[in-house]
Amino acid sequence: MLIRLTLFCSLIMVASLVSGQTPWVVPSDWNAKLSRTSFTDQNRKTGGELYLTNCKSCHGDPGKNNVILLVPPPPDPSSVQMQQNSDGALHYKISEGRVTMPSFKNIVNSADIWNIIAYLRSFNKEYIQQTAPKPQFAGESFDKVNLELFWDAPNKRVVAWLTGVQGSVTKPIPSMELKLFAKRYFGNLMIGKPVETNEEGKASFLFPENLPGDSTGMVTLVAQLTNEEIFGLVKAESPMAIGVASNRPPLNEPRALWNVGLKTPVWLLFTYLTVVLGVWGSIFFVMLQLRTIFKIGQ
Amino acid sequence: MASEVNTNFLTDKRLDRIAADVLRPVGVDRNFIIWMTSLTALLFVCMYAYYIQLDKGLIVTGLRDYVSWGMYISNFVFFVATSLVGMLISSVLGMMGYKWVKPIGRIAEIIAVAFSAIAGLVIVSDMGRPERLPYVFMYGRIQSPILWDVTVVTTYMTLSVLLYLFTMIPDMAISKGRIGHTPVWLQKTYELLSFNFQHKPEQYKILLKAVRILLILIVPTAFAIHTVTSWLFAVTTRPGWDSTIFGPYFLSGAFVAGCAAVIILMFFVRNNYKLSRYITQEHFDKMGKLLFLVSIVYFYFNLNEYLVPAYKAKTFEAHHLHELFAGEFAFMFWSVQLLGLIIPMILLLFKQMRKPFPMVIIAIVVLIASWFKRLLIVVPTMEAPFLPKQYVPDAWMVYHPTVIETAITVGTLTLAVMIISVLMKLFPVIPIWEIAEEESAHPDQQPVE
Repeated sequence: MLIRLTLFCSLIMVASLVSGQTPWVVPSDWNAKLSRTSFTDQNRKTGGELYLTNCKSCHGDPGKNNVILLVPPPPDPSSVQMQQNSDGALHYKISEGRVTMPSFKNIVNSADIWNIIAYLRSFNKEYIQQTAPKPQFAGESFDKVNLELFWDAPNKRVVAWLTGVQGSVTKPIPSMELKLFAKRYFGNLMIGKPVETNEEGKASFLFPENLPGDSTGMVTLVAQLTNEEIFGLVKAESPMAIGVASNRPPLNEPRALWNVGLKTPVWLLFTYLTVVLGVWGSIFFVMLQLRTIFKIGQ
Repeated sequence: MASEVNTNFLTDKRLDRIAADVLRPVGVDRNFIIWMTSLTALLFVCMYAYYIQLDKGLIVTGLRDYVSWGMYISNFVFFVATSLVGMLISSVLGMMGYKWVKPIGRIAEIIAVAFSAIAGLVIVSDMGRPERLPYVFMYGRIQSPILWDVTVVTTYMTLSVLLYLFTMIPDMAISKGRIGHTPVWLQKTYELLSFNFQHKPEQYKILLKAVRILLILIVPTAFAIHTVTSWLFAVTTRPGWDSTIFGPYFLSGAFVAGCAAVIILMFFVRNNYKLSRYITQEHFDKMGKLLFLVSIVYFYFNLNEYLVPAYKAKTFEAHHLHELFAGEFAFMFWSVQLLGLIIPMILLLFKQMRKPFPMVIIAIVVLIASWFKRLLIVVPTMEAPFLPKQYVPDAWMVYHPTVIETAITVGTLTLAVMIISVLMKLFPVIPIWEIAEEESAHPDQQPVE
């Protein structure tokens, strides 16, 4: 009996593995997650564009059931199989992926995944959106969270000021960790270590004296709340003339192989012209001989 | 080529016989009209394909984001490669004093003229906006190998045409009174192309000087044309192309394709024009040995080109070589290497295989294989970029040439065959004056047919 039961169980397991129908378990905290904002037409439009570039090749056109042949088959967005997922579950599955479904967390950012979900939900007439409660902090909820950047010249410090707006009242938010970055060509460079806001909601960063800026010393600074869970993505960006002015000649200034035709390296120009003029000069000389041969024959 | 011509041959009776033999097939006959009409019909079909491509753009081809150089650029490399044989035979062997190449020198020149002229055209077939071709000259960067390539292809074509023209001037003078059986316009063309040549010693002196300049110039130009073509690939860091021996590798491969093309035309001339007295068994034997020589050089470069990266097996090179040796391209790769290189080399070691008929079979296989060899150089590398292929339709990831693309390629080959046909049928295919001079100087030597 036990052997039979074991056999039966393994058979079911194998069958479910083959068909790929093992349930996709979403962690409960993710399952309950909701978007902080109500889906708007703009969200649905952006989501639709993202769907076109990232999802359509497998999931097909919503409602047309023209999905790609994979095992397990990717569900059509309008199908019950897709729509029975909670918003959070959809977010989790798009972010993480499984088997043939790729993980999109490094390709599409969190806000855009919500946009895709907004688009997916537009194919479900019964869907009524629930949004997450407004950001709360220490018992207080804010309508809006602001982050501003200042330059504290005497102390050579960059100050980031975090405040929350509650109706018409603006309050500082203390004890939140902030990071400061300087924008570089390829990505952001972190300045110093993360700093917590004080009672005034301010975090001050010692700014290095030798950081190169552009030709006028401008550096674009970016401050960001480390924890995105409480208030979502809170970010401030501001250019400040606090870097060292660097007047490096641009890469397209000198004569170089990578430059435009007028800035050909001299050695190449010389070689090319010498060879071409030499060879074509000889060719014209040879052509002239035809005339001489013709004249002698007259 | 001698620095002086002994004009005694002009009064020698052998000249009449040679001229009669060589000029007998010249002219417009029924077979030629049928042949050219069929080629023209085929060309029109292919031109319709090109019309579709002009109208709709390159989307009608199999070329997409990853493989943007497919059959067209492979075809271009094939044309450039095959045209190089003009330099090898007329210039290198001719100047070294090998007299046996005299009867086949013009055949090699015809191939050089036709193939280098079409090579330029093939490049245009790969352009989505061909009307922008003048931009290459208007806005071209001297730093770009593409501009160098345009320069050397034009130069090589000009040199080949001039060499063909100059060595034919005395023949035009000899022939103009002997082609009464041909249309008047052809007789007038002969008259025009003879440039008043009256076999005066001063005229020969100038002619030989001009030819000598051309022969010397054509050697570095031919080296440049194919080395620069190889640089179009080798100056990138992509697997399969990132190689320092690409120049000589292309050159040696070019001689293999070119020799094969010459052997095919030699066979045709010998049999259809009944010129076996001039293109003898010995010529096939010698061409067989030459083909063996260039093949073994090419084999040596292939060994280097594949064995060294395969031994190191750097990530991307390893993937590329795996695709060639055992992957998607394995069948084509091994067919090309075995049928186009290794088996012909073994066969050519036997004297019986260097007879005209076996040789032409070998040459046809070698020439076809050398076309596919170019495809193997271009496509597998383009299909394997360094960055992952993503966010494009599946059909874009692999290259599948379309019917239209194939038709356009067939069209370029047809055009080359048409040029060769016209030059071979309407003008003496063997240099009459050079053979007559040779036979007059050595009357005791009789060729073995």
